[in-house]
Amino acid sequence: MTAEILSPTAFAWFVTILTGGVAGAWGIYDAISLVRARNADSRDPLVRDRRFGYVIGIAIGVIGVMGCLRFHDVM
Amino acid sequence: MTLPDSAVAMVPAPSAGSRAPAAPRPRVVSPYNPANAVTASRFLFLPPFVWAVDSGHHQWATLFILVCGLLDKLDGLAARIFDCRSPFGELFDAITDGICYGFMLIVVAAYGWAPVLPVVLIIALGLLNTGMRGIYTKRAGRTVNYKSYGMERIVAYTGYLIGFATAAFEVTFFYWLFVPLMALTVAHDTKRMLVDPIPPAAEGA
Repeated sequence: MTAEILSPTAFAWFVTILTGGVAGAWGIYDAISLVRARNADSRDPLVRDRRFGYVIGIAIGVIGVMGCLRFHDVM
Repeated sequence: MTLPDSAVAMVPAPSAGSRAPAAPRPRVVSPYNPANAVTASRFLFLPPFVWAVDSGHHQWATLFILVCGLLDKLDGLAARIFDCRSPFGELFDAITDGICYGFMLIVVAAYGWAPVLPVVLIIALGLLNTGMRGIYTKRAGRTVNYKSYGMERIVAYTGYLIGFATAAFEVTFFYWLFVPLMALTVAHDTKRMLVDPIPPAAEGA
């Protein structure tokens, strides 16, 4: 078994695309879900939990994209 | 073979002729089903993961955590395809998440691929959350897998965290930002589990 599967550059871009792509899509999806849930009953604990989860998802998405930009010295 | 209570799912009984539909009767779902097999297969990736980290093979270690994370998504799909969803399966999946990701986090921290302090905090918060789930189970009086939208996202991020460590990808940045997010989610879930009223049991739970 060889120590490397991809070249270091290809591997770095593979991880970047996997992280940035998923994090970006995830953040956008949860942002849309949060907007859609704005009319739901806020007294319902399940609705509040769902909204909280969407906010956490947006935060994770932003962190993921920021990490990719930092890795490539954009930020 | 005796099946645990949690392996019982409710399905409608077939109605006979023009009579009114009968009340749902329990359907027994064996714990030895394809979905749980997929979940259990994730443990097979722990030894190769340790080998890859020990040998310094970053890309192989990343590949193993990637497959492990992929299987985490596939078990739900298998449960739907083979119609073998059960509360036991959900609980088994959550326990497998905790063991696999917890073990892998300890390994990457032990080999110096991830900062130790955030890993200790993450595992401590995970154990705290597990304890709260136990208390919640006692409060509810039934075996339940506590569903939390925030924690679902945190668990997925945990899988990525291990990948960041094996790929040496902005490790410090991702690990330290993860800790406050997880602390916030555990605090939110703790309030729900200990203070908020318990929702009625869903059908099949």
